[in-house]
Formats: sequence, structure tokens, C-alpha cells
Amino acid sequence: MGQTQTVLDQGITELILLWREETATGMESIVALNMATPCTAVVGSTFADPADTATHHTDGGLTIQAIDTVGGTTVNTAGDTITFDHVFTATGTKNVAGIHVCNNDDDVAFIECCFNAVLPMENTDTLTIDGQSTINQA
Amino acid sequence: MKTATRGSFKVYATGEHREGVCEKCHIKLIKEFYMDGDRKRVRMVCPECGGMGRLIAKTFSIQPPNPPQCLSFRCLYRFFMDTLFCALLSNYHRRRVAYAEINRHKEILERYRTGEPSPSSILGAIVANMKLRCPICRKYNYF
Repeated sequence: MGQTQTVLDQGITELILLWREETATGMESIVALNMATPCTAVVGSTFADPADTATHHTDGGLTIQAIDTVGGTTVNTAGDTITFDHVFTATGTKNVAGIHVCNNDDDVAFIECCFNAVLPMENTDTLTIDGQSTINQA
Repeated sequence: MKTATRGSFKVYATGEHREGVCEKCHIKLIKEFYMDGDRKRVRMVCPECGGMGRLIAKTFSIQPPNPPQCLSFRCLYRFFMDTLFCALLSNYHRRRVAYAEINRHKEILERYRTGEPSPSSILGAIVANMKLRCPICRKYNYF
């Protein structure tokens, strides 16, 4: 299976709460997924329960942290896309199977991405994430 | 294995795995913010020479084909071909990234680290998969 990525059901629920001006927060955090084999992204994954048997990294420079840059851009129609960029710097030997993009409260995952293959990070290695999510109106 | 994605709410993401020490100056890279058009972005650079560290592997975002829009033979055939291409391309990039990661300290063709050029046809994807599987063919950049 190749790389899979999707907006999660939980993320859409949070988005609807934002539109309704109820208690919700926007895209703010990112965390690397820990798994020895490649995972497969599914819409039903949650912050607490990522795809397959993946878990969030809790150390080694790959823990949940504020996304470096979040912005808006245009793919099909004006302002239909949110972009995000982030650099992880590993502080030990760790496997990265993918990422979760989360809200500011760190309790909801908006996006799940499982990479083509597991990336074995060594100390000081960097992982630059380039992402975007588009509501395609075309 | 079953995967589900949204047709009208798509995500594209890539991960670029690099060494964190400049291969030329042997000093640790630092985070730099820069503008790419209107988009503010971030990267790791060497404070001395501006190098970005040796690339180990870059993942590739593959989108599943859109579902067929009609039940005619032409629509179904096109969907079948798109699905086949997606499967072959997924297989190629899965194997390519794994190959690049295993050989992180060895010299391999740059195309296996960057993923560019990526196969753009079914035939191209079949050839790329066969070439990657062959230990002799994957050392040469002749097609």
C-alpha cells in the first residue's frame, strides 16, 4: 500500500463546531506517528486511536508540538486551501510511520497521513512536512 | 486492506527526510522561515553555506482515482485504468522510499530519493517497478 492521507471524521466534527462558534479550536499542533510497519490512514481514526496500531511519539523530538507555519491559499477557488509546514528534528533513533495534524487543545486530529514507508530517523535527522488540505469545489 | 478517503475534501502531504548536519561544513542545521510566493514556509539550512543536509528520502502523495461518473463502458474502463495506475504508482513509491531508507549511507540514484521523475503512465509504472526490483538495472539511469 502506498501513502494514504485523509481528513478524519473527528476533524470534520471539530470544523462544524468552529462554524457554529461552539467550543472548538483550529489547526495548531502536529505529532509524528510511531509504528514499526507502514500504517493505512482511515477516516475513523481519532486523536486517541490512530490508524492500525500506531501511537503518538512521546519523546525524541517527534512529540506533539506547535506547527511551524499554517496559512491559506488557492487551488481551485479563492481561499479553498489550508497549508501547513513543519520541521521535526529527531533527538534519538525513532521510526516515523506518519503524522497527525491536531487542534490547539491537543484532543482532536484533523488530518492523518501514513507515509509510503516507515522512515527510520536517527539522532539530528530532520523531517520536513509539506501539507495542504483543499475543499475541492471544482 | 481497506482505505477510505474523501473525494471533495483532499489532503496532500509529503515528508522530506534529511540528515540534520551539513555534509560540507559538518555543522548542525538551523530552522529558517522563508516566503514562497504568499506562503510562509520553513526549512532547515546550514548557517555557513546554506546547504540543506543530505536528502535520504522524500515521500510521495498519491490520490485515489475519482469514482466513475457514469455506467458506460468508457467510464468504467477509465476508472479501471486509473485504479490500476494508482496501485502500480503506490507500489513503486512504497518500494522506492523503503529502498532509499535502507541505503541511506550508500550512493543510489537521486530519483529514488526524490521520487522525481515519477512514472506518469501504466507502462512507465510497470517499468519503474521492474527496474527497482532488479539490483543491476536500478543502478543505471538510462530510462
